[in-house]
Amino acid sequence: MSENIERRRFLKCLGAGSLILAPLGCSSVKEEDSNSNRPHYAMVFDQNKCVGCGECKEACNKANNLPEGKSRLMMEQQSGGVEGQKCSHCGKTECDCERKYVRVSCQQCKNAPCVTVCPTGAAHRDPATGIVTMNADKCAGCKYCIAACPYDARYINKDTDVADNCDFCLNSKLAKGELPACVQGCRYDALIFGDVNDPNSYISRLLAVKDSVRIKSHFGTEPSLRYIPIVKQGV
Amino acid sequence: MDGTLEFTMGLSDGIAWPWPIAVYLFFAGISGGALSVALFIRFYKKQVTNTAFLKASALVSFITISLGMLCLVLDLTNPLFFWRILVYYNLNSVMSIGVIALTAYIPLVALIAMFALEEEIKRIAILRPLLPIIDKLRGIRRPCEVAVLLLALSVCAYTGFLISALIRFPLINTAVLPALFVASGLSAGAAAAKMLAVGMFKEDLHSQDMKILHGAEWPIMFAEALFLFMIIMSLMTGNAGAQTAFEAFHSGSWAMVFWLGVVGVGFMGPVLLNFATGKRFSHSAQAFYLSGLCAVSGMMCLRMFILYAGQNFAI
Repeated sequence: MSENIERRRFLKCLGAGSLILAPLGCSSVKEEDSNSNRPHYAMVFDQNKCVGCGECKEACNKANNLPEGKSRLMMEQQSGGVEGQKCSHCGKTECDCERKYVRVSCQQCKNAPCVTVCPTGAAHRDPATGIVTMNADKCAGCKYCIAACPYDARYINKDTDVADNCDFCLNSKLAKGELPACVQGCRYDALIFGDVNDPNSYISRLLAVKDSVRIKSHFGTEPSLRYIPIVKQGV
Repeated sequence: MDGTLEFTMGLSDGIAWPWPIAVYLFFAGISGGALSVALFIRFYKKQVTNTAFLKASALVSFITISLGMLCLVLDLTNPLFFWRILVYYNLNSVMSIGVIALTAYIPLVALIAMFALEEEIKRIAILRPLLPIIDKLRGIRRPCEVAVLLLALSVCAYTGFLISALIRFPLINTAVLPALFVASGLSAGAAAAKMLAVGMFKEDLHSQDMKILHGAEWPIMFAEALFLFMIIMSLMTGNAGAQTAFEAFHSGSWAMVFWLGVVGVGFMGPVLLNFATGKRFSHSAQAFYLSGLCAVSGMMCLRMFILYAGQNFAI
């Protein structure tokens, strides 16, 4: 008899408990998604200011202890002559085209294909900062992330044999409270870094007044790198 | 300038996935295809004995998937990192799902091969320790076969899903690719297994199994051609990115691989050998082996073409 009552009470508690806990469980997932207090780090490349000196690359190489000559970013020259080479804009060896450069590096996508495809979770989003970065101890070197990146912005680090990407110097500089090495190294203020979720940050105020574009936005990756292009096309 | 900024350089050196991956896709396709066809026939005909075709399929399937794994491991930047893929998982990743499927598939294929090749194992002295295991597991043979049939088809399709997730390459990033890989896996797998069945396990060229195979081959090959045609048409009539990728079919050396290797050898080869030659030749052993080889090499060319031409024409 008493056993029966015990069972009934147990079942009652179970039913009531699940009624209370189930809605709680559902709502907690939502809360996490709309957490707007978390930072969203972004970078702006101002094409108007870049002169193509390449000091960003050297700073990157040094800060992240990369193999010689390698850095996590590249500069693509899109117009303007280099001695002995054809201008990639007009095709002539000697031309008056303005020199134009574009930063080529990880675009820090909000919807990052590398993170989705990585079989081991080595390419992941840092929980605290939301920055896409690498856990070198988990990477198996399958190169799936490199093939999946729509920007071809990832590579294999020859020293460590694992994939690598620009993570805004997450471990080498941001962890110490410093700006990314390339931003520090740029003497022309062509690179601006900051939290776009903070309305008072310099980058937020800059993006509020300047027109900026994202590269290959049709891929739906929502990159965090923004470019302020040169729009002047001659007189 | 179309109003947006673009760059064309990349940080990776050339293509990310070179030929070992194409070979792996090829082996995985053959393995899954061969075993699926053999088990289809076994279930359809309600066979209970170990037929020559089943023996050959199980053997082909086990050898090819092992070689495929070897290619996969050797293509890692450091093959010693292989354990990481087995220890860490990311269920959003197609590759991780594939690893789970393969870790179930490979031991099961080994088991199926042991069941199918029991008599042969009895004859080989060093394999005799396997006999008690076969005896013990005999009761679960049927459920194993059902599971391995599902897994074999999944592995074939997985090789397609694996690369169709690469959004940068219009030729690869198509919905039809997994279906194409299943179809070509079935046809090449069946071809490889039937050659081995006749060559090694002394199957009669005109036995009942061979007749069923012969009837099934042409519809599968037709489906394969149809899927390829669908990809070509969607690229030809597609947007700017698709149109760039369509160039793969008419320019560069990979177009040659496609038209000579895939279409010429893979499709026209077996068709001509069977229908354009006299009845005496088309029923001979030479024609049988030659058309089997054509199907298998056509499939290899297809994998190479899709992987290389696909990665060369990126957007």
